[in-house]
Amino acid sequence: MINVTIDGVRVEVPKGATILEAAQEAGIRIPTLCYLKKLSPIGSCRMCVVEVEGCTKPVTACDTPAGDGMVVTTDSEELREMRRDVLRLLLVRHPLDCPVCDKGGECDLQDLVYEFGVTAESYRTEPFERDVPRYVSPFIRQWPDRCVLCGRCVRACKEVKGVGCIQIVDNGFYSYIGPVPGVECISCGECLSVCPVGALTDSVHPTKARIWQAERVPTTCGYCGVGCQLELNVLNGEVIRVTTTDFDRAPNFGSLCVKGRFGWEFVNHPDRLEKPLVRKDGELKEATWDEALGLVARKLQEIKDEHGADAVGGLSSARCTNEENYLFQKFMRAVIGTNNVDHCARL
Amino acid sequence: MSETKNMIVNMGPQHPATHGVLRVVLELDGETVVRAIPHLGHLHRGLEKLAETKTYHQALTLTDRMDYTGALINNLGYCLAVEKLLGIEDQIPERATVLRVCLAELQRIAGHLLWLGTHALDIGAMTVLFYAFRERETIIDMLEDVTGARLTPSFVRIGGLAADAPPVFFEKARAFVKELPSRVDEYELLLTKNKIWRNRTEGIGIISQEECIQYSITGPVLRAAGVKWDLRKVQPYCGYETYDFEVPTGTVGDVYERYLVRLAEMRQSIRIVEQALDRMPDGPVMADVPEITPPPKETVYEDIGCLIRHFKLMSGGFKAPEGDVYMSVEATKGELGYYLVSDGSEKPYRFRVRPPCFINLQALEEMIKGRMVADVIAVIGSLDIVLGEIDR
Repeated sequence: MINVTIDGVRVEVPKGATILEAAQEAGIRIPTLCYLKKLSPIGSCRMCVVEVEGCTKPVTACDTPAGDGMVVTTDSEELREMRRDVLRLLLVRHPLDCPVCDKGGECDLQDLVYEFGVTAESYRTEPFERDVPRYVSPFIRQWPDRCVLCGRCVRACKEVKGVGCIQIVDNGFYSYIGPVPGVECISCGECLSVCPVGALTDSVHPTKARIWQAERVPTTCGYCGVGCQLELNVLNGEVIRVTTTDFDRAPNFGSLCVKGRFGWEFVNHPDRLEKPLVRKDGELKEATWDEALGLVARKLQEIKDEHGADAVGGLSSARCTNEENYLFQKFMRAVIGTNNVDHCARL
Repeated sequence: MSETKNMIVNMGPQHPATHGVLRVVLELDGETVVRAIPHLGHLHRGLEKLAETKTYHQALTLTDRMDYTGALINNLGYCLAVEKLLGIEDQIPERATVLRVCLAELQRIAGHLLWLGTHALDIGAMTVLFYAFRERETIIDMLEDVTGARLTPSFVRIGGLAADAPPVFFEKARAFVKELPSRVDEYELLLTKNKIWRNRTEGIGIISQEECIQYSITGPVLRAAGVKWDLRKVQPYCGYETYDFEVPTGTVGDVYERYLVRLAEMRQSIRIVEQALDRMPDGPVMADVPEITPPPKETVYEDIGCLIRHFKLMSGGFKAPEGDVYMSVEATKGELGYYLVSDGSEKPYRFRVRPPCFINLQALEEMIKGRMVADVIAVIGSLDIVLGEIDR
């Protein structure tokens, strides 16, 4: 363990911890943009610059390991001005998109610009062409001109998903996020969920809503037994998007697969079965749950009486919870009285 | 001799002379008023509670809808309160402050004109209404030129004004300043020495200085009783201490003197407007405090930094520091105060209004006890109440 002093607060952190982690331990916030806990720090945005006693130049807090006895200052007028300058440079070619951008209201860049009071563009340049996106999937739209090149998407694709289908192409002012030749995108949306600005947007549902309009309902993904946590964005009783904003939440820490992130349209589908159907006179008709369950129970009883319990078999689903699966096998064994029970995941 | 019984009569809430939806329950002994209890709440909209759900910027529009005859002054008091809470009073541009004074005084004249016309109408002098509304219309037109709205402008903003006044306003205001004193002479010609008017108003609704102070009465009603108390003088804001004007007072405190005081106040207000027009400095009309005030609209269309600032301020609002503040202004009816409590969020934790009308109305019974029913109308008129503010 080593001792670090941050803005006059002494904290003890394990050896190898970065200055940013030490500051978090001390309860001091250092503004960041490219940093994300689950990704490797690269110190590219320079928002997290801090002054370290004995160092001639400010250092980036997210990728500089804290040293024993280090004395760090996280806020000074000079640092604020440096951060402002970083933001001014990021805004140089940023389009005037806030009113139409999906991310408006929950955009890290917006928050930082407002926080640091960057109002006038000090630098000017040629606008960036809003041309055809460099990489696309049916679910994700890229807006290259909104991109701040923080590299979160590139790292998330490579480090979290192990796919690595995108990279920063070209260099300097002309760099952009583009595809890696020969590596196919799996449309998992990991890049989308970590993008701090509106450079990657969800194109599944045509309706969009601001963060304060849509209700975000935390729920568990129903596709498999992992139990990924996600938020359904509900507007006027209709799901319009799936988001993951809590990167600390087990078991998925903000990651989802293509099904969890984009496969929710059935929820709003008009043909979706919402009530039990019972076949009467050769035709399926809507029934109450009491009626339907009563019928199933009666039929099972009849089969059991006529052919014995082993004439019934049960196949459970990975889309049910552990508790439901337990109850199902209990039901087969104790109520029906057979060991004919299996599960789709036991391949 | 047969036994008599007092009669209970509801005056209002649909009575045309109760100025809105006021219900006064009168206990009458024949024609004589024994008791008079104002029943309030018919126009209650829960404004103060509603304001707690709005950002500081959004809550501004609610203030228009209290005393809608003096909406700009309501805006002004609220904005001054928020500015005090934020500690940005010193950063308000000079032009904004002078324009605020100019508009507030015009609004005061408009408010008094509305009162004059309706008050005289209530007592039976119908002609005055048409004279008073002629000038009021001129003012409302001018306010429309500046603010775009006639009644509820929401024009005074936190940090300054929503926009600068167009050149046509200054032309019209200059002409109006010249014209109004002779118009006030006309009203006086119609009423001041009018025998019927004086019979209906002199010695009616008297309330003494001491009682006024006990009831916390403010505004022209207090001044007519002889108390020289005007917040513009005793607790100046917006640089009122630098303007040359008098505080007219009466001696008896009856309906007639309230009339005289208000007419004299119009003459004083026009002096203030004239001085404001003379000293009108150039410059911006909105303070430049990036985390609080919106940037100039033109810049929003071309500068992403300004666009973001505008977006964040309009969608989320600014956070005010924790604490509480009381700020009051001299509205047309008296002391209009705002008490705001902030919990550090972007919405007021508590938004409390000290309304002049509500408090002035409480003395109604005191003023009309023992008088005739017809005097109730004269007294209510002389209080100059607006139910939008009483009930809120």
